[in-house]
Amino acid sequence: MMDHSVVVGFRRIMDRAGWLALALLGAMVFMPFLTSDPLAYSIGTQILIGASGALGVYVMLRMELLNFAIPGFMAVGGYAAAISASHGVTDIFALAAISFMLPGLLSIPVGAIVLRLKGVYFVLITYIFTEIVQLVLIETPSVTGGTDGLIGFPVLQAFGVQLTAYSSTFYVSLTLAALAFLVAIVTTRIFRQQFSSIAQNDVLAESFGLTLWRYKTIGFFVSSGVAGLAGFSLVNMLLIAHPLSFTATSAVNYIAYAFIGGTGYLLGPLLGSALLVSVTNALSFSGEYSEGFFGIVIMIAVLVARGGLAGALANLWGKLGPRRFRQDYPRPASKVSVKGAQ
Amino acid sequence: METVLSTVLIGVMLGAQYALLALGFTLIFGILGVVNFAHGSLYMLGGYLAYAAVAKAGVPYPAAVVFATLGTAALGYLFEVWILQRVVDDHLATLILTLGFSQVIITGVTMVFGHEAPRFTFPIVGNVAVGSLFIPQDKLIVFAISAVVICAVYWLVYRTGFGRAMRALSIDRAVAITLGMNARIIFPLTVALSAGLAGLTGSLITPILSLSPHAGESVLITAFVVVILGGLGSVAGATAAAFLVGIIEAFSGVYIGGSLGTLGLFVLVIAILMFRPSGLFGASMRGA
Amino acid sequence: MSTTEITSDSSDKPLLEVHQLAKAFGNLNVFDNLSFQMGPREVLGVIGPNGAGKTTLINVLSGQLAASSGTVLLDRDPISRLPFHARARKGMIRSFQHTNIFSEESVSENLSRAKRFSSSTHTDEDGARSLLDSFGLSDKLDHPAVDLPYGLQKMLGLVMVYITGPRVLLLDEPAAGLESRERILVDQFVETALDRLSCGILIVEHDMDMVRRLCPRLIVLDDGQILAEGDTADVLRRREVIEAYLGVTEEKTDAEG
Repeated sequence: MMDHSVVVGFRRIMDRAGWLALALLGAMVFMPFLTSDPLAYSIGTQILIGASGALGVYVMLRMELLNFAIPGFMAVGGYAAAISASHGVTDIFALAAISFMLPGLLSIPVGAIVLRLKGVYFVLITYIFTEIVQLVLIETPSVTGGTDGLIGFPVLQAFGVQLTAYSSTFYVSLTLAALAFLVAIVTTRIFRQQFSSIAQNDVLAESFGLTLWRYKTIGFFVSSGVAGLAGFSLVNMLLIAHPLSFTATSAVNYIAYAFIGGTGYLLGPLLGSALLVSVTNALSFSGEYSEGFFGIVIMIAVLVARGGLAGALANLWGKLGPRRFRQDYPRPASKVSVKGAQ
Repeated sequence: METVLSTVLIGVMLGAQYALLALGFTLIFGILGVVNFAHGSLYMLGGYLAYAAVAKAGVPYPAAVVFATLGTAALGYLFEVWILQRVVDDHLATLILTLGFSQVIITGVTMVFGHEAPRFTFPIVGNVAVGSLFIPQDKLIVFAISAVVICAVYWLVYRTGFGRAMRALSIDRAVAITLGMNARIIFPLTVALSAGLAGLTGSLITPILSLSPHAGESVLITAFVVVILGGLGSVAGATAAAFLVGIIEAFSGVYIGGSLGTLGLFVLVIAILMFRPSGLFGASMRGA
Repeated sequence: MSTTEITSDSSDKPLLEVHQLAKAFGNLNVFDNLSFQMGPREVLGVIGPNGAGKTTLINVLSGQLAASSGTVLLDRDPISRLPFHARARKGMIRSFQHTNIFSEESVSENLSRAKRFSSSTHTDEDGARSLLDSFGLSDKLDHPAVDLPYGLQKMLGLVMVYITGPRVLLLDEPAAGLESRERILVDQFVETALDRLSCGILIVEHDMDMVRRLCPRLIVLDDGQILAEGDTADVLRRREVIEAYLGVTEEKTDAEG
């Protein structure tokens, strides 16, 4: 009765969403059987990168924290990969480790500062962090290439095999996304109770003895590491590490993917990215106009479909699925504390 | 010595501009609890509205400024009434809404006016001699207008019934409502005021500085920094912090140059936040 | 009048010792020089007019707010420097005046989290189970906590506090918002906690009947100072207490005395 594995049936859906996401990613391995159109691979790669970035947003949203530092940590991971690659490291898994760990380790001292804040203050200070990263990138041209960025990215290899096929960019992004999702699934599963307690009532959790900073730090670490993987993925696709890929405004894209996909489910970032990237490409919006499109879409999502795509699917599953999952559990309004600073 | 004095003057004039910007931002936060990510875009829109009035309709500049202010105020009002009000208590939702709103404004402006920076200049050029210093007339005029408007806002917030109602709603909404303050009237008016201030600032500054669809982004971050320093929701704090930031920026611009100054400012903000998480003037927050 | 030490009439060593505790917000002095003790299996009531500093006292004792000066000892162990969550882990647990639950979770999940976060080794599941029975929560374990009526949410909060195996319980107005028939449940809770956990309980309350029923000893706070302390019946009869707080007429008090 007190066993913490007793769950309301609805939770099962949430746990399964993670594995479903991995399954979908696994299915994408079979792309060659469906198409050999380079455009499809390009869109697929963009979807995977977007999903990875959105995943970073998602992990912190588990604690009701909107993390604008994602592009900043993407930059750290992306540039770390670019610099390492230019020094001869071309194994994809080595680069993945670097692009995950460097942002992750950086997130610890950064987190020591920003995680003291909640709600709006957290949003603002993570926004400033990303701006700081931008400035640092521009002001250290000897390391980062400044406003020119680091041009060129070598051919990667996996298990000793050079990845030269035109589809290899897609597979690199797929691998990195799979790694990111794996880490996120495991983390959000292990710490589900702690993260959601922090989101719902952190004071209460603390009153029983929960060490808040420890779990916030873990979440921030994973969020930053995942963002780093996304950054590596992006740099690999663009073949350049450039400050403009990592602006604070670009955070809106990843936030949009996470929201449209559904902030309650691990599947959300993947679904949201898939939908928005596909539609943007299909409607041939130039990069500029897509911003307005995103803007409208996220406004509609917030007003009309707060649970996003995944939420709608879960509701459907709840209504049509096996009896024990039938519990429509709408997510209550966010308790992001506005006036609280600490 | 003269450099110091002129730098201080630059800083003070910058501070007035920042205060105008920050006031609107902090008012919306204090009274509605909303972080307005569209604030920078409204600033930019004010610039474009004034530009359009002058360049396309031949309206004299002062009238264009008024037009821009009223235009952005009206847009803010409608946004609150039609969109924001529906979810005004859900802070994450309102944040996303203002984010989306910001994007829509930028794209709208780009669609109408294109990507390039239009030629939009301040009608009065030249310097004025004050003692041994030469102050650009445009900046002086802007400073004068800013000072007047800031005083007007203070008067509104602290000396009128409307201002009292706004403050009551920010302190305790439930109680204020039972006492008869009508949030449904005051919230949209607050957003209108805030948007109008942003638009006014934009119409005054962009001809001096620069105008482009993305001109609002750096403005937004400055607003963030100022209100964090001053304490979100504190009008006095925002004003004081604005002048502080203005002076620091002026000195770092003159003596250090480049974006290192901005970097230093950010680091300063973070340092202050570590020791006083509620900002320089924010109310002392409870420990938990 | 303000710095008297109260000696516990329990023969055990004191479980909770408070020495010259003070709290000020800038120029606003909430209380200063508070000193008192509490032993295991003791119920100490804290009453006083509004604004006397009672809730702040709990916030400071629990560690949510830092004291301006003074020390707090839990079982001779100084905890004054420990933050909120660390004191909870040492067994100093507080309840909340308003309902405080994990609203998106079921009753049983709420309980499991309370237990888990305390990482306490000595939790009393049987006692918790019997409390759930008495409160009428046993058949609602799968219900979302937010769907419970107010009174039941508060009782859930009490069971959550119980299951952490506290050594000192700080109850902040446990009766607030409860209907009269529900208030007896608080008595049951206190009784169970004393019996089975041997903890010390400090109750901040306004409900005088409950205070008389449950607390053999009282502290009266007024304006940040200890106005009176000692035996409950005795304290409640004192003129200064009556004048400061109770507003009860003299005849009525005589009748009760």
